[in-house]
Amino acid sequence: MDDADSIVYVVDDDASVRDSMSSLLRSVGLRAEVFGSTEEFLGATRPEIPSCLVLDVRLPGMTGLDLQGELEKAGIGIPIVFVTGHGDIPMVSRAMKAGAVEFLTKPFQKQELLAAIHQALDRDRARREQEAKLSALRSRFERLTSRQREVLHFVVAGLTNKQIAEKLGLSEITIKVHRGHVMQKMRADSLAGLVRMAGKLGVHSHR
Amino acid sequence: MTNGYWRFDFRESPASAGGSISGAVDAADRGLGHHRHPHTSGPLSQIAWSMVRPCGIALSFVAMALVATLLLQRFFPYPFLFLFFPAVMASAWFGGMCAGLFAVFVSTVLVDYFFVPPFNSFAINATDSTYFAAFVVCTFVASWVSSSKKQSEEILREARDQLEIRVAERTAELERSNAELRRSVREHEIAEQTLRKTQADLAHLSKVMTMGELTCSIAHEVSQPLTAVVTYGHACLEWLSAAPPAVAEARKAAERVIQDGTRAGVVLNRIRALFKKEAPTRDCLDMNEVIRELGVLLRDEAARAGVSLRLELAKDLPRVKGDRVQLQQVVLNLAVNGMDAMRGTADRPRELLIRTAAGGSAEILIQVKDSGAGLRAEIAPEIFKPFFTTKPQGIGMGLSISRSIVESHRGRLWVTPLSANGSLFQFTVPTGSRDHDG
Repeated sequence: MDDADSIVYVVDDDASVRDSMSSLLRSVGLRAEVFGSTEEFLGATRPEIPSCLVLDVRLPGMTGLDLQGELEKAGIGIPIVFVTGHGDIPMVSRAMKAGAVEFLTKPFQKQELLAAIHQALDRDRARREQEAKLSALRSRFERLTSRQREVLHFVVAGLTNKQIAEKLGLSEITIKVHRGHVMQKMRADSLAGLVRMAGKLGVHSHR
Repeated sequence: MTNGYWRFDFRESPASAGGSISGAVDAADRGLGHHRHPHTSGPLSQIAWSMVRPCGIALSFVAMALVATLLLQRFFPYPFLFLFFPAVMASAWFGGMCAGLFAVFVSTVLVDYFFVPPFNSFAINATDSTYFAAFVVCTFVASWVSSSKKQSEEILREARDQLEIRVAERTAELERSNAELRRSVREHEIAEQTLRKTQADLAHLSKVMTMGELTCSIAHEVSQPLTAVVTYGHACLEWLSAAPPAVAEARKAAERVIQDGTRAGVVLNRIRALFKKEAPTRDCLDMNEVIRELGVLLRDEAARAGVSLRLELAKDLPRVKGDRVQLQQVVLNLAVNGMDAMRGTADRPRELLIRTAAGGSAEILIQVKDSGAGLRAEIAPEIFKPFFTTKPQGIGMGLSISRSIVESHRGRLWVTPLSANGSLFQFTVPTGSRDHDG
């Protein structure tokens, strides 16, 4: 696991708790950054690398659960591991429903915390890969000409070259060339692959 | 008691001769060492005895005087009649006025018969009549002086005895009422002790209930340092098992384990001190410090209730004499009440302000202000009464006990409903310059 290029954020109002977490995380080779409040965390610049947030539920000012809502609204999908001195069921249920990875009760064991953190990092890593792939795909799609996009739509809809040529009033040879360019620019190795990409991009088929 | 008998008589008719006689008879009984006559017979024989007695006494004295005078006759050229005077006086003294007069009569007759010429005859020579008349007058005077002297002495003694009895009665009365008073004081003390104990128990109950409301905050306060301890412990092991071992980091982690373990202990002690049930003490306290110690607990509770807690502690606050735990209980009560009052507040910031200030004359002022629902002015005086509560789970003792604690510190606790929203509770504590031991 390449922990070196990931980062764990810890938000806890108790200096001892956050420093101890920092020490523990560093001792197992994780990079940790600690904050005393949610506001401090929101104000920090965060590098675009796999990361997760270890968050105390009960904080002065904006609470952990409030922060979860804020991040959700801002479209920041950082996975959250909640920790609390005592969690009641409504609190846990609210946090988990909103997508928390884990809900730990203080004092927690190293294994629990690290397992939750690794799970959260994996989730974030997967999410980031997904997002990276999608954005690469999108940029490839952006590079298609409008004619090529037209052709792509018809191809995805399952039309043959001849049918496309008829629809666009072009020769079959021209459509074949366009189609070749599309496959090349989108780096698709088969028709099936191209259809999958179009699905991910949300390209609608033209009839 | 013999005295009782004649005293009673005397009181019935202080000037009556009978009273005097019976008194004198009794006195004669004692004075002459006669066997006392038993007063068991009826009233008639009593009256007879009281007649016979003086005559007997008069006769015996006069007889002694006569015998002595007859014996002395041969040594003197003329009859030595002076001995009849003491006989008359003694008769009047011991037998009363009647005995005196009877003695005068008997003496007169005997002197006339034996010593006034012609001797052994009741006739009197004309030459001796003056001498005889002088003798009679003198015996009368002697009898009268003696009996009146005796009487006034009796009156005096009576008055003295009467006084003694009155004093004794009064003393007994005083002692009785004194005992009564002592008993009622003791009863009062016991009642007061019971009351104090009940009050202390109730205060403790209310404290425990307040603390019960703070359980979550207490758990949080304890779990924070413990979390740090456990986490540092794990970290320490990790640092040591690295290759090569990161000794410096491990040492730092171990040091923090000690530090946070100690901190957990301090937190526990502080909470235990709040729970402790012991006799109130009077220490010299810095009220700011007392409030700050509560701060951790209150801040946490405030965070849970979504309340922002502000402490405005005056600089150079004079110290006060008081019981730390009791005063903390008051502040805690007021603060928890304030937070409860803001539970339903949504349209404005929930803010709890705890302020200290040096008050006017030798006292300090502590204010607890909330922005909650506030109080209706008409119930403001009610809230300090025992068992008044607006909380479903409350026992309604918090404010009543808070007030009695403040008053035992010679301070005042009152509430001011705020015109906008919320209420302001404030109490004073006199500064340490005045000595008190409420």
